[in-house]
Amino acid sequence: MSVEIRIDPILCRGHAICALFFSDGVDLDQWGFGRVATATAGSPRDVRRARRAAAACPNGAFVVREREPNPGAPPS
Amino acid sequence: MSGSPALLPSGTPDGDVASEGPGAAVRWRVVDPAGTTRTRVGGIGDPGTLLLAGPPAGAGGDALDVHLRTWGRLPPGDGAGVRALLRASGLDGRGGGGFPLARKVETARFAGGRPVVVVNAGESEPASRKDRALCAERPHLVLDGAALLAAALGADEVVLHLHRAPGTPAPVLERAIAERGRRGLPDPRWRRTAGPDRYVSGEASAVASFVDGGEARPRFTTVPLAVEGPSGRPTVVSNAETVAHLAVLARIGPDAWASSGVPSSPGPRLVTVTGATARPGRVLELTGAATVGEVLLADGNPAPPAAVLVGGFAGTWVREDEAWQTPFTRDALRCVDATPGCGLLGVLPHGACGLAETARIVRYLAGESAGQCGSCVAGLPRLADACDALAAGTLRRRGLRRMASLGEAVLGSGACGHPDGVIRLIRSTVAVFEDDVAGHVAGHRCRGSDHPPVFGVPAPVLPVGRDDTREWT
Repeated sequence: MSVEIRIDPILCRGHAICALFFSDGVDLDQWGFGRVATATAGSPRDVRRARRAAAACPNGAFVVREREPNPGAPPS
Repeated sequence: MSGSPALLPSGTPDGDVASEGPGAAVRWRVVDPAGTTRTRVGGIGDPGTLLLAGPPAGAGGDALDVHLRTWGRLPPGDGAGVRALLRASGLDGRGGGGFPLARKVETARFAGGRPVVVVNAGESEPASRKDRALCAERPHLVLDGAALLAAALGADEVVLHLHRAPGTPAPVLERAIAERGRRGLPDPRWRRTAGPDRYVSGEASAVASFVDGGEARPRFTTVPLAVEGPSGRPTVVSNAETVAHLAVLARIGPDAWASSGVPSSPGPRLVTVTGATARPGRVLELTGAATVGEVLLADGNPAPPAAVLVGGFAGTWVREDEAWQTPFTRDALRCVDATPGCGLLGVLPHGACGLAETARIVRYLAGESAGQCGSCVAGLPRLADACDALAAGTLRRRGLRRMASLGEAVLGSGACGHPDGVIRLIRSTVAVFEDDVAGHVAGHRCRGSDHPPVFGVPAPVLPVGRDDTREWT
């Protein structure tokens, strides 16, 4: 099972705690605001770390969602 | 493709355009019998125009009479017919993003539920006048188009969104709505909203948020608005010019409409010329592969200027020789790293300094951030400082490198495209005014540094931090 990772740039205050828990998955800019290096996590270890990072974010900016197959796309 | 005046797609009820609008489609047809599109640039009422065809709107009077004489009533049709028209035409959004309207509509329909339909006539781009001119001169084309969009989505209400600013076409639209009501036109319910007059408040997610009763600030979205807007319902936000095109192509047919553009940019296109030109703020309609040079010629510029700012304040500079011969179409502009954007063409005269103009624009855009994301709050004021220093001749090589890496850190990190637009402008500045940049960082200010300001850039709001106390509702 894989999950989708997003950092809401409006909620992010640059605490950079997500990078402590999930250093492989998060890049920090020069002010400490996080950016996800990989938009999805596949391995159980990465999924675990991503969930920990989400739980630790004081602003709820780190979002982990179950991946839906192709959400919202119209049939082509 | 060019022989018949009205080419409605099969499956669309034929509205017999010619009988209802006497000769309308024939009179404004822009395709000659050989099927080659003429290249034309025209203002209000000029021959060859579609959106701007017909006499200029006088003060007062019944605009609906004039409109119906020119265009006739809308051909009767259902939602499926309008959607077929949209698909066949390839109509792209004219607010800046250029997203195909047919895809927004199909996405919203696939998402299901009662959709929110918003026509954005706010025109938050400070130098752009096309939506204002269109609503003031041809309000019934905009309202016809809005009614068709509502039909395509099965919606019974349309939100007409404007900004709270002096000189908006709100009174004209209000009169036009009253005229249509008296005449009993089969319109949707009109809801009017007026949001704060800020640059980022015109961004689609900010508009969607405002019309849902929230703040007119961009939102972080993981799914398209057309799937789920702030209200939880599918939300389609479309520019005023875009829907006006829909009103035209429903009458003359998608093929005739599309062939008045080029395949990569179907249909005609409105532009605003600004800066060092005969009539800054003039709105022109382009047909065929009209070049930037032809547009500028039409506004009385006999020779290429120093450079042209294309697509908006957060657009890109194009150098004189390239700009003059480049057609104002999506494909051609891509070759010079530009996009049509909101249709703005800013003329920089010889003897003015592009770096100074850019610095004023970047300062303004930095102050127009919604103050939400780190990239705007931390990055844009520093970039504005760097641009000021570059224009003043006090930035050195190291500062220039720092500015470039700052730009890379900011790019793509915001909830909306606002910071990216600023970076795009700065990158094109450094590329197009390469020689000036080299001179400025060597400490030689160029001759243009004392030139009076060229573009009408509003006074900047001081960059705000997280403690933004401005009203956004």
